[in-house]
Amino acid sequence: MRARAATLVRSSWIQLLDRLSITERLVLLLIPPAIGGAVVTILAAALVGPAFVDFLAANLPLVRFFVAVVAILLLTVPTAFVIIYMELKVIARMNLRVGPNRIGPWGSGMSVVHGLKVLIKEDFAPTGADLPVYTLAPVVTFLASAMTLLVIPFAPGLFGQDLNIGLLFFFAMGGLTVLGLLMAGWASFNKYSLLGGLRSAAQMVSYEIPLTLSAVGIILLTGTMSLNQTVLAQSGSALDWFVFKQPLAFLIFFIAATAEANRTPFDMTEADSEIVAGFATEYSGMRFGFFFFAEYVNVFIVSALTVTLFFGGWTAPFDWPWPVSLDPIDAWAAGPAWIALGLGAAILGADVLAVVIRLFGGRAWSIPAAFGLGFLVSGAALTALLLGACFIAFDWFAGIVWFMAKAYAFVFVFVWLRATLPRVRIDQLMGFAWKWLLPAALLNLFITAAAVILLDR
Amino acid sequence: MPRRADRTRQPGPAEALPAAGPRPSLDDPRVMLDRQAGALFEEIPPYPARTEREAEFYTPTEGELFLNIGPHHPATHGVMRLVVKLSGERVVDVDPVLGYLHRGVEKICENSDYYHVIDQVDPLEYVSSLFQEWAAVLAFEKLMEVEVPQRAEYIRVLSAELLRVQSHTLYMGFLALDLGGLTPILYSFIERDEIVEMLAALTGARMLFNYFRVGGVNGDLNHEFMSRLGDWMSRAGKQAEANAALLNENEIFVRRMRGVGVLDRATALGYGVTGGNLRASGVPFDLRRVHPYSVYPQLDFNVPTRQEGDSLARYLIRVDEIRESIRIIDQCLHQMPDGPIMAPRLPRLLRPKPGRAWGAVEGPRGMLGVYAVSDGTDQPFRFRIHDPSFLNLEVVPHLLPGNLLADTMAIVASLDPVMGGIDK
Repeated sequence: MRARAATLVRSSWIQLLDRLSITERLVLLLIPPAIGGAVVTILAAALVGPAFVDFLAANLPLVRFFVAVVAILLLTVPTAFVIIYMELKVIARMNLRVGPNRIGPWGSGMSVVHGLKVLIKEDFAPTGADLPVYTLAPVVTFLASAMTLLVIPFAPGLFGQDLNIGLLFFFAMGGLTVLGLLMAGWASFNKYSLLGGLRSAAQMVSYEIPLTLSAVGIILLTGTMSLNQTVLAQSGSALDWFVFKQPLAFLIFFIAATAEANRTPFDMTEADSEIVAGFATEYSGMRFGFFFFAEYVNVFIVSALTVTLFFGGWTAPFDWPWPVSLDPIDAWAAGPAWIALGLGAAILGADVLAVVIRLFGGRAWSIPAAFGLGFLVSGAALTALLLGACFIAFDWFAGIVWFMAKAYAFVFVFVWLRATLPRVRIDQLMGFAWKWLLPAALLNLFITAAAVILLDR
Repeated sequence: MPRRADRTRQPGPAEALPAAGPRPSLDDPRVMLDRQAGALFEEIPPYPARTEREAEFYTPTEGELFLNIGPHHPATHGVMRLVVKLSGERVVDVDPVLGYLHRGVEKICENSDYYHVIDQVDPLEYVSSLFQEWAAVLAFEKLMEVEVPQRAEYIRVLSAELLRVQSHTLYMGFLALDLGGLTPILYSFIERDEIVEMLAALTGARMLFNYFRVGGVNGDLNHEFMSRLGDWMSRAGKQAEANAALLNENEIFVRRMRGVGVLDRATALGYGVTGGNLRASGVPFDLRRVHPYSVYPQLDFNVPTRQEGDSLARYLIRVDEIRESIRIIDQCLHQMPDGPIMAPRLPRLLRPKPGRAWGAVEGPRGMLGVYAVSDGTDQPFRFRIHDPSFLNLEVVPHLLPGNLLADTMAIVASLDPVMGGIDK
């Protein structure tokens, strides 16, 4: 009887567990370790906290560097997801297809699912592959392209490191990408990979030169290689952007950057109709995923650098008609512009949210109810956002918005190119780099140098 | 109970493993040592060369690399294998290996009665299957000495020219895909889908139609087909121009196609190349004009010809032919007479008099012929299909050497091979 009662009790526990969904069970499982972790953290903070804080304060540059590296590595994940989704959806629209529309609203979860798929696939290495090199190649490619983000200024005061040789660091790190591709091509023990790797070496080394030379003109103009100083030199209005002072350099830079990021029409290294997948032919699972990630992060990085060098970085294209820094107390004094802006944004947000609620809530929500809820939610969100923005610094907020808007405009151009253009041939590619881009870059450099000398005089 | 017995079964004594053979000596010339991976590879010993050409091809000189393109490769239009000998990125020599899709259709046809043959030849060149039916039906009609009614002839021309437009549109898309363009193939498939749905309304099938009969066609024009056709015709010309403009006005595309894989007139004639590939080399040979069949003499159309013979010319010929085909369809609709669609008094089982016949039509890829010999029974004694893609593909080893690896795709795709017809 006793044993029977025990089984009954156990089974009732199991029954209780069975009623929970998998998420709820996970949460239930995570509660004890969370409590334990919190207790340990509090104890540790009480015991060694002050000494640790002192240590951190003494090594502030080092701390800043590590935090920046971690933040940038974390930033690459959503960036890659957003660009993959953009590519899927935009190319689909240009092909008159629907594109992903099943996972998440408008299929926006598709790239996450892509990432998970890659994560759970078998990690396969062919017989005869040079295993250490084969394993390191994706890491080198990914880290080399991700680390270039360190010097990009996202907003005033928001950057990884303000190196005085920022641009040089960028090109040096970007140049390391080719090493990873060459390693992958060599170590895969596959002829397609080898051809892809050699193609990438030839292509990226050739395009590195016009890319760098076209940026030298800007160094002459600003007198510094720090990207922060470059952005500050372009502050003011859109007319101060370097694209108007260096139009030829911008064209050369954009073309060379397309080749540098291995994008259509210069995607020779992974030309699927010729050499299957180039250097990535033998890769599978997350190793392939890292190449994939690196490619999309590269697109963002190249766009970000184009924006930083030629389109004013985080600066706004016009002078703000309202005060830039905003005290919460001075909000009323700042003028009716803010109130109009807030009201307009709240109404727009209400419209959007009402549509979303109607879409996902179905017939349970009448239209006025949906609009009311939408107005409340969007108003609350907007107020929180504004207050938060005022509290942190409005400069950061506006800077990030402008920077991301400009950068993603260029990402869109890259996606657009991919949907439209066929691939060039390897000899045309090399000929274009050495016969056209390089002389044009040199010409641009000479003209800029002459102008700087003459105007300075 | 066998299940329980299975569950409780104990593993028996381990079976004796086969004795390991002697480890290959490192001095053996067939053994290659990969020092970095520390792995041993035993090369597959080569079989003796069967021909002089094979012996010469498979003896690489310094700095040459063999690359297998295919049988499963994104750009080989089916299952074809090109063994390419590369020196850097440049193609030195090429050895096409065919036969991965061989189904012995000709032999199957010799064991089918005359009606079933039409069914059997359908999946050969699956992109434009009405043309095979037409060639077979032409040969059988000569054997049977049947007169085909005018309306049936017009319907045949109408449906076949629709299919020609479809095939050439697909050609443009696949050519762009092989050059790395993503979008044109999807625009092509939109056109193809409309035509194929239209023909499905007429024949009942989207790809393998089984529509032509000895002495006529299987069904008359119906309302759905005509409404779809009218809808399509109202914008077909404009759409074809728009699709072509996406490629014709693209500098990268034109530069990759111009002057690549030049097929001169004498070589083309020597290899027996037909169709658009021959007309791109300056020979105005079109079976619809030089050996007219059906109602083509009553129709007004041009035979587009170009002199360059390169990949771009082969592509532009197809674009011009789409325009001509749309003109032909328009004329067919205006000239279509009333009347029966099948010849009267045909037996249920065809038994032609002993004899031989050759029926040939101008398919989208060239002259598509059927040679049939009858011995008086209800099955053809000999049935032979002359497929244009096969002869067109024969010039590949002649065109590729000296070009870059990337041009391989541009050249092979511009010849428009369909492996179903080549391997038969």
